[in-house]
Amino acid sequence: MTKKAYIIGSGSISPQNTIDENWFFEKINPVHIDFFSALEPSYKEHIAPNMLRRMGRAIKMGVTAANMAVVDAKVQNVDAIISGTGLGCFEDSEKFLLAIINNKEQFLTPTSFIQSTHNTVGSQIALIMKCYDYNFTYVHRGFSFETCVMDALMQMEEGKQTILIGGIEEHTPMYVELLRRSKKFSSNNSHQYYEGKTKGIQMGEGSTFFVLSDTKKNACSCIEGISFSYKPKSTEEILSAITNLLKTHQTSLEKIDVVLMGFSGDQQFDNYLLELLPQVSKTSATAHFKQLCGEYHTAGAFGTWVANKIIEKQNVPEAIKINSLTKSTINTVLIINAYMGINYSFTLLSKC
Amino acid sequence: MGEGVFISGLGLISAIGNNVAEAYHHLSNAKTGIGKINHLQTRYKDEYVLGEVKLSNNDLMDFISHHSPLLNRTSLLGIAAAREAVLHSGIDLKDGLRTGLISSTTVAGMCKTELFFNDMIEKNEHLEILDTHDCGESTEEIADYLGVKDYVTTISTACSSAANAIMLGSRMIKHGMLDRVIVGGVDSLSKFTFNGFNTLMILDKEWCKPFDENRKGLNLGEAGAFVVIESESALKKRNGKALAQVMGYANTNDAYHQTASSPDGSGATKAIQLALQMSGLNASQIDYINMHGTGTPNNDLSESKAAINVFGNNVPKFSSTKSFTGHTLAAAAGVEAVISILSILNNKIFPNLNFTTPISEFKLTPVTKVTDAEIKNVLSNSFGFGGNCSSLIFSKV
Amino acid sequence: MDALIEKLKGQIIEQLNLVEVKPADIKPDAPLFGEGLGLDSIDALELIVLLEKHYGIKIQNPADGKKIFESVRTMAEFIKSNGKD
Repeated sequence: MTKKAYIIGSGSISPQNTIDENWFFEKINPVHIDFFSALEPSYKEHIAPNMLRRMGRAIKMGVTAANMAVVDAKVQNVDAIISGTGLGCFEDSEKFLLAIINNKEQFLTPTSFIQSTHNTVGSQIALIMKCYDYNFTYVHRGFSFETCVMDALMQMEEGKQTILIGGIEEHTPMYVELLRRSKKFSSNNSHQYYEGKTKGIQMGEGSTFFVLSDTKKNACSCIEGISFSYKPKSTEEILSAITNLLKTHQTSLEKIDVVLMGFSGDQQFDNYLLELLPQVSKTSATAHFKQLCGEYHTAGAFGTWVANKIIEKQNVPEAIKINSLTKSTINTVLIINAYMGINYSFTLLSKC
Repeated sequence: MGEGVFISGLGLISAIGNNVAEAYHHLSNAKTGIGKINHLQTRYKDEYVLGEVKLSNNDLMDFISHHSPLLNRTSLLGIAAAREAVLHSGIDLKDGLRTGLISSTTVAGMCKTELFFNDMIEKNEHLEILDTHDCGESTEEIADYLGVKDYVTTISTACSSAANAIMLGSRMIKHGMLDRVIVGGVDSLSKFTFNGFNTLMILDKEWCKPFDENRKGLNLGEAGAFVVIESESALKKRNGKALAQVMGYANTNDAYHQTASSPDGSGATKAIQLALQMSGLNASQIDYINMHGTGTPNNDLSESKAAINVFGNNVPKFSSTKSFTGHTLAAAAGVEAVISILSILNNKIFPNLNFTTPISEFKLTPVTKVTDAEIKNVLSNSFGFGGNCSSLIFSKV
Repeated sequence: MDALIEKLKGQIIEQLNLVEVKPADIKPDAPLFGEGLGLDSIDALELIVLLEKHYGIKIQNPADGKKIFESVRTMAEFIKSNGKD
């Protein structure tokens, strides 16, 4: 594919202060014991009360982040809405399931069932924007958001001009508690995931949306390409996927200015990325992002937000740096993301 | 743009049988698979009918020769259908061509989570099931069973999901990103979805009557349904045989209401028109429409309106085969893709069961008996919650 | 009847999560759907469950809701006429 997707607007609700559009890693919010909660805005400013009363947190976060991106891009409408979510509207699913269990399938009401459908966020955005066009929701673990990126690039090639994409994930107190009991969480205080000494994950949540355009106007950066690796069996396999992607875009690993790594924080899942790190650190400035947002299926959307900001500000913030290599101009950022050692994705962004 | 996309294999497990041959037998004998509830654990067991797959989870594990306590019913149905599609097509996953799997589901692991959620909370037991709750689980189980490595993803757009899987797969082939893709969807029955649809008061306690004036609602069903699609060159390279061609597809949004379809059928109309446009066919060349036809008052009204918007007084022969299988949600468009291709291959239209009286506003009458007719081009519609409207066009090769 | 109307108002606000609405905002004869509170078909289904849960009245056909849920007063009258207040 030859077309690029220019980022003309973004909106992010995350555990960091991303709801303030001027925030650039000045103050970092710490993890809440063993998980991150998103810092949520006042939803009333973004969503009509009659819609808001039915929405669970994932829907509120998704619709609001989408609205932030659309406002930032100064567009009235889009040609496609593509959303990604690993677990969907978990709060509503949990609510309806508990009602079934506790009331023995009686006196059930439809609202939480309707809202629990995975494509609720995408369809609510379409309803609000009156967008009658292409509307897709991807729900594949660590590929959920990244498939949105791939689809958007394909849509650009097929002639669409403005596309809204985003990732959404929420957790509930019950879900956090169950994960805690299944001993998936980290108990260490270190956020130096790249040292490979930490165990367990710190779970996160959030929603990040982008407005992509097929033209450069008003954009600082663009997504050039993306590729995937499913259950790779070696670091070499990952490296070959990265090399192929970069070759398609007439570049190579040594020429990449910044490599942004998606370490989960659990060394048992991070081993391939840890093996890769010394190699990419030789020639590129390296950084990582999940210590700011936690691990979740669509954390890659937050990673993409960070990459876009790095290019916009031409600066790799201290808070996320791994090595001390600096570049006078940041022309390219490669995101190497992984979910639980299963879903690997590689996203190439460049300055424009 | 890009190469032609051909269908070379079919796989289906549903209320009308555990494979495509059994489904064909039911369809051509007008024999529904919807009946009394056997497997689903619900207090409404004796009040409603469902389109259940007849095999239990243990039977399914025997059927696919793969026994694992963590496999849920969604994964089991998916593996059964995807395996059949791959075997039918004759593709060799180790021949070096790039193969992907694009599945879709709405129920995902809920069929199992709902049985053990209380134990997780109260007794700290079965916590490992949490990892199998999400939609990606069944897709990865299918991929690993078959040995698909090059690309996997999952779509969830309610009842139009599998249509969108077929669409994405076709687009990836046209873009030259993959040589062939196993596409479709899977949903098992769960208390969660059954009670959910019950709260919407759109379940008929008896056999559903799509497009009938006195229709009361839908019957839920379960199924795994996949087709193998290939690029023309991939097919040539291995001397494979095409069963049909994917000629057109479109995805639009009704943007009218969270669950209901618009009374003017605008989203559906646009989806059908765009799919026709892509296929290069005239409306008059469509020989048969496999309707979404859930049997709910709202869907059938809106879909009838859309058909009239596009085809005017010449609405092609049509039927809703959900009267055989029940509404299998994410799998529905996959089930109906298989049925549409069986229509093309056998020059037969499978009937809309239980119909007696046309909807008074439209006077549209579906095909009610197994009918022989030359079928070159089939339109298949699928619509879902959240305004998702998808239409596909399959053609004879 | 007035007491039943007041009780219903509170129950409607709770069932439909009308966080911005106070009981005094709901006029007994004002339409609940379309204009008025701006409720829709999903709310109608919620109200059907409200009648079942709090008053033991089962409505089999959702189309019947249209008349019953015209206003809070019609709801109250329906409950009375079913002898379930």
